[in-house]
Amino acid sequence: MTELQIGILGFVALFGLMVMRTPVAFSMLMVGFFGTWIVEGLRRAGALMLTESYSAVANYSLIVVPMFILLGNISSEAGFSRGLYDAAHAWVGRFRGGLATASVLGCAAFSAVSGSSVATAVTIGKVALPEMKRLGYGDGLSTGSIAAGGTLGFLIPPSTGFVIYAILTEESIGRLFMAGILPGALMMLLFIAAIWIVTLRDPAQGPKGHAVPLAERFTLLFRALPLLIVIVVSIGGIYTGIFTPVEASGVGAALTVLLAFGTRAMSLSGFKRAVMDTVRTSAMLYMIVIGANVLNPFLALTNIPDALGHALEALGIGRYGTLIVILLSYVVLGMFLDGLAMLVITVPIYYPVIVALGFDPIWFGVIAVIVIEMGMITPPVGLNVFVVKNVARSVPLATVFQGVTPFLIAMIVCILLIILFPDIALIIPNSMFN
Amino acid sequence: EELKFANFLAGGHPYTTGTFEPFAEMVKEKSGGDVTVRLYNGGELGPGPVEQYSRALDGVADLSVSLAGYTANTFPLTLVAELPGVLNEETGTQTLWDHIDMLKGEYRRVQLVSLWSSAKNYIFSKDKPVRTLDDVKGMKIRVPSRNTGLMVEAWGATPVSMPVSEIYNSLQTGVIDAAMIDGTGVNAFKLGEVSKYLTIGIDSTNSPFFILMNRDAFKSLSDKDQKAVLDAGREASQLGQDTQLRVAAEGIKAFAGMPGHEVITPTPDAAAAFNKASASIIPEVLKATKGAQDYYDALKAE
Amino acid sequence: MSVTHSKTLRSLSVITDRATHALSVVAGVLLLAMVVIIAWGVISRYFLGAPILGLNEIVQLNAVALAMLALPYATSSGVHVRADIFDRLIGWGGRFLGDILTRCLSILVLYHLTERAWYKAMDALEFGDTTNMLALPLWPFYALMAFGMGLCILVFAVQLITIIANRGAGDD
Ligand code: NA
Ligand code: NA
Repeated sequence: MTELQIGILGFVALFGLMVMRTPVAFSMLMVGFFGTWIVEGLRRAGALMLTESYSAVANYSLIVVPMFILLGNISSEAGFSRGLYDAAHAWVGRFRGGLATASVLGCAAFSAVSGSSVATAVTIGKVALPEMKRLGYGDGLSTGSIAAGGTLGFLIPPSTGFVIYAILTEESIGRLFMAGILPGALMMLLFIAAIWIVTLRDPAQGPKGHAVPLAERFTLLFRALPLLIVIVVSIGGIYTGIFTPVEASGVGAALTVLLAFGTRAMSLSGFKRAVMDTVRTSAMLYMIVIGANVLNPFLALTNIPDALGHALEALGIGRYGTLIVILLSYVVLGMFLDGLAMLVITVPIYYPVIVALGFDPIWFGVIAVIVIEMGMITPPVGLNVFVVKNVARSVPLATVFQGVTPFLIAMIVCILLIILFPDIALIIPNSMFN
Repeated sequence: EELKFANFLAGGHPYTTGTFEPFAEMVKEKSGGDVTVRLYNGGELGPGPVEQYSRALDGVADLSVSLAGYTANTFPLTLVAELPGVLNEETGTQTLWDHIDMLKGEYRRVQLVSLWSSAKNYIFSKDKPVRTLDDVKGMKIRVPSRNTGLMVEAWGATPVSMPVSEIYNSLQTGVIDAAMIDGTGVNAFKLGEVSKYLTIGIDSTNSPFFILMNRDAFKSLSDKDQKAVLDAGREASQLGQDTQLRVAAEGIKAFAGMPGHEVITPTPDAAAAFNKASASIIPEVLKATKGAQDYYDALKAE
Repeated sequence: MSVTHSKTLRSLSVITDRATHALSVVAGVLLLAMVVIIAWGVISRYFLGAPILGLNEIVQLNAVALAMLALPYATSSGVHVRADIFDRLIGWGGRFLGDILTRCLSILVLYHLTERAWYKAMDALEFGDTTNMLALPLWPFYALMAFGMGLCILVFAVQLITIIANRGAGDD
């Protein structure tokens, strides 16, 4: 058997293990370890597993993961995230589809402190879904706007997606974070446009809410202030260069804890819950990084990335043709796979191809993250859809998948715009660093 | 026999084309084709320079390239060679190999294949020109190694340790005021974009590179093949230094050519003040390691 | 299955649950310590004008300890991301076999990792391997890795016994 064949077999085994209910992280670890054992012997396989596990966990840049997860968890325990939604609700609730718009705005704002799509969808969903139900919103629009809005958590910095991408490619986390800002804002606007079109065609989907007096609107905005301060300090701190991303995550987390206790918004038991959940989620993410770190050298040893790169080249379909093939493969994988798992499996293979084609690696990071977000809301496995369904138990799964369709179209439009105008992603990092 | 060479640098990096690829060629040629070396560039066998020593030690790779300074506590003697004013840039590698036997104790766990001295670390400052020792006082300066940290402290500045990949952002955003790195940083890390001044012409640390081989992998080779690897490694050492000095010189020239940029060579008096402060750390460093004084004397005797 | 058997099983998983939970509380303390360390580093650089040399080494080692102490807890509470779309497709038997296979292979892989981490810890102790700037000893962190991964093996083993005894994981 040639090395390449073993590599392909490795992929088959990876898929087989996932079918057999093995967690993604352990599937990667197993294929990396046993694969290297077969190709190179036990000594190298064991050494690989040890060195790469250790260096994965000891990676300084990865510290932003537990820090930002803690920040997000504390915000939701302290009700800061609810404050964001309430403020958005007060300002835009009176328009047609206003509550759905408020949900998207709330998700976008919460995304600026949370790196995870699931956390964003759960946090805002818990607050917004009952509200929309009360006002008689269509199940499709209400659940769809939360499931899709939640994906902003992955694009608007901080984002675990960008962190993993940066670690796999040694690109700068700071640059990637900055590159996510405008596309995140654009996507938010496109989501709002999607809501507008849906309610234009069927006003019953999103009836108008009550107008809130101006004074109360400002009061609510004021109440959302704690989290807005954290957002300005941590993300603003990276942008203005006061902090490195690791520092911003640590300072942001410290500030959130102080504000949560200082405003008496958080109970001690809520604090414990937030910390324990952070610890558990971080360990889970670390395990995924360990698995990826062990799998990737195995793939390199079997020449899979090279071979796939050459195969893509041999198609002879040019730069953009190749890009489209890559994006389509993401869409297909995204139907089944978890977003982070997708990143760790695909990036080592596609990144060299993308760089060789002369595309900007930061720009591709943004594109990849958006296509992966699409995967979070496409059937049959759409993590965000499942999460929302878990909050809105009475709504059939099919309705949620139907409800996200307009938002999927908005995402495709967003990707096309970023491909046509790469500056949407690149102008902030380039103006900041050059 | 195919040896796997872990290279954290990219395929197109001058070191890859100018040193590691020729090394692979030489091994093949000298062993009569018995032993081949396959390069895994761009960190394919694991990213970053820091863990490369472990990768050779534990056997992830058969060969790996790294800098002694990244595992300073394992190579205190080797790092005597990085101290300011010890090696001459042009003859440094030759000097190292003239006294290579004195380093034996440090390479018990891995096989030393290549070792070369690099270009000197100089001061890239963001927007404050460094012409005298007074200029540098109070500046926050990135350092690549502990010894460089001591030297910078002796200058009256504050050392900040950070990986090379973070220099660009940190200079840009003012997390640090200056960075100590050799001239290759201009092209490799685009430091000209984030610093206006480069101060050269003073005694400074350099950062010795090495190629290490896994012990078991080395022992499994026949005597003839072992010799082939070591001979190729010795020749590659010189290539490594040549590549380094060439790219560093190109970098400094490119920096000088950028509009609004200045390469500063302090006056002899100012340079002497720097060199005196730099030399003041040496006794302390030598005291910390057994045999360091002897090794230092041997290197300085040339 | 007899009543005593199921009692033993339950107390086994209670013990592993408690042990992993206790460790994760330590990990939680380390997490908060990390927040303080990073924030302190920023404060001391900006407001006291004195950056702390080698702070990144403390943070990195702290992360190793945090992850290794939290991993058994994450494993025992089943938070690891899994693709569950095929669950229906493979049927009860497939799920049962898959759950057993997953645990067996995980135990095998983690056994190797634990063993290697332990040897590495002993090696690092013998040769006095330390971090670069602060010269912090590395061996305790490799030992923690062996410990954390070893405890994961225990968690998987208890799950394995429970699955076989109950003829299924009961999470579907
Ligand atoms: Na986010
Ligand atoms: Na999907």
